Amino acid sequence: MNQIEMKHVGYQYNKTGEQALIDIDLTIRSGEFVGIVGSNGSGKSTLARLLNVLLEPTEGQVLIGGLDTHKRENVQQIRQKVGMVFQNPDNQLVATKVEDDVAFGLENLGVPSSQIRRRVDRALEQVDMQDYRDFSPHQLSGGQKQRVALAGILAMEPSCIVLDEPTAMLDPRGRKEVMSVVQDLNQQKNITVVYITHVMREASRTDRIIVMSEGKIVRRGQPAPIFADIDFMNKIGLSVPPVTELAVALRKKGLNLPDIMDVDELVKCIC
Amino acid sequence: MHMLIELKNVSYIYEQEPPVTALEKINLNIEPGAFIGLIGHTGSGKTTLVQLLNGLIKPTSGQVIVDGKDIGENKKGLKDIRRRIGLVFQYPEHQLFEETVYRELAFGPKNLGLDKDEIDIRIREALNLIGMDFDKYSDRSPFNLSGGQQRKIALAGVLAMKPGVLILDEPFAGLDPRGRKQLTELLKRLHEQQNISFILISHRMDEISYLATRILALKEGHIVLDGSPAEIFSQPEKLKEIALDIPQLTEILFRLQKKGLEVRSDIFDIEQAADEIIDKLRSRNIC
Repeated sequence: MNQIEMKHVGYQYNKTGEQALIDIDLTIRSGEFVGIVGSNGSGKSTLARLLNVLLEPTEGQVLIGGLDTHKRENVQQIRQKVGMVFQNPDNQLVATKVEDDVAFGLENLGVPSSQIRRRVDRALEQVDMQDYRDFSPHQLSGGQKQRVALAGILAMEPSCIVLDEPTAMLDPRGRKEVMSVVQDLNQQKNITVVYITHVMREASRTDRIIVMSEGKIVRRGQPAPIFADIDFMNKIGLSVPPVTELAVALRKKGLNLPDIMDVDELVKCIC
Repeated sequence: MHMLIELKNVSYIYEQEPPVTALEKINLNIEPGAFIGLIGHTGSGKTTLVQLLNGLIKPTSGQVIVDGKDIGENKKGLKDIRRRIGLVFQYPEHQLFEETVYRELAFGPKNLGLDKDEIDIRIREALNLIGMDFDKYSDRSPFNLSGGQQRKIALAGVLAMKPGVLILDEPFAGLDPRGRKQLTELLKRLHEQQNISFILISHRMDEISYLATRILALKEGHIVLDGSPAEIFSQPEKLKEIALDIPQLTEILFRLQKKGLEVRSDIFDIEQAADEIIDKLRSRNIC
């Protein structure tokens, strides 16, 4: 089944007249783990905001599980299906206690309190934060805050999660925590993941990447062959992981190597 | 002007219940002209250390000595210290507030009591240093610039004070790869061409290994590693222990060593590393 379908989607900002997205066609299947990369201003955050109707396309159509985001009666259902996690962990937590924060969305939906309890417990377990339920958000590290934000989304039982640079403000430990939780959710719960990132090492762990530049999709496919085109990536303001750069440099010097994005793989190929 | 900074037995304790010791008996000399990479996990004391260095906070015990003078004993001198030791905070662009780039950059020099002509010269110099054209940008609103440009403007604001030491707290956070690369090259150029020492706090080991001449690693308020990038990154187990990464390139070179290919591991440049690998593969001829 197709989770997300974008048909000839354009988006123009009212205020500035700037065309943020131009003729986007994109289909994401249920259970896929898709990375979106692009430099600042390439349109990737705008695209993300179309997926749970924070924005409506000014041209074309966005369908979520077959539901058109233009139709007002679909909006609540779509927002339940598609959860969003943003960059700044401090802007996303509203309550004074972790478990209240996770319950917040459910309370707004009018879910009975016995069910809320169960869903909050389960969501906290899924992000491995069950021991922190009574903590105040300010006692948590950035990575922990992002996992709580993620739990708040999971409690709504979405079929798709969109993450907009969720690790940009985190330290390496926090980055790893968030990435591994997201991978688990995708693999074990079959949740569709759309993961926007500048961190190419994270993008290289997705099934498929979409590369954006100046409002358009300029490349799509498996990460390895796309990253191997370093000149192209640099031209649109992106870098590739050092391991890929090294593999390409070695190839230029005559070593016979495939497209590589992973340290293990490179070491195995050399020795 | 280059400056010498010394820390003698410096401790800092946050007074709260229970008290938290952020730094414990730190002894450290920062030599003029150094480019120091300060690494450590969140909560290791990095930010406390740099706040001590420019007099934003005072040590609970011990001394911070700048060019031979204890900055704790010299209240009048503190303003001068803050001018000479520039601090660029995390997300400094969030603190931009003036209507034009020119006025933004004039703010610091004006506070120093400089006259109009001198302020004008400094603004031109600062924009020149960060590679932004005076005529093109001076009348623009900083808020209409890209995130990377805004960050450079914030940096120029500190450069206009003509500091001898520049401290940058996570300057790469949130920048896209292009912005990161531009800023990295800018810092390298500033260090090579200006008489400024640098202290760079960052989690990004690829950039740190490229820029720094000396790396300090903090853990729980102590300096646990101190040496050149080559020395520091040759101890991957120790870095893992304090929850830090090594640069990916270094990791690859180590892994090849373990497999028996005798490559050097103190190379931080892709081309050089590729040459080294090819070279060693040739001389071995079996792999």
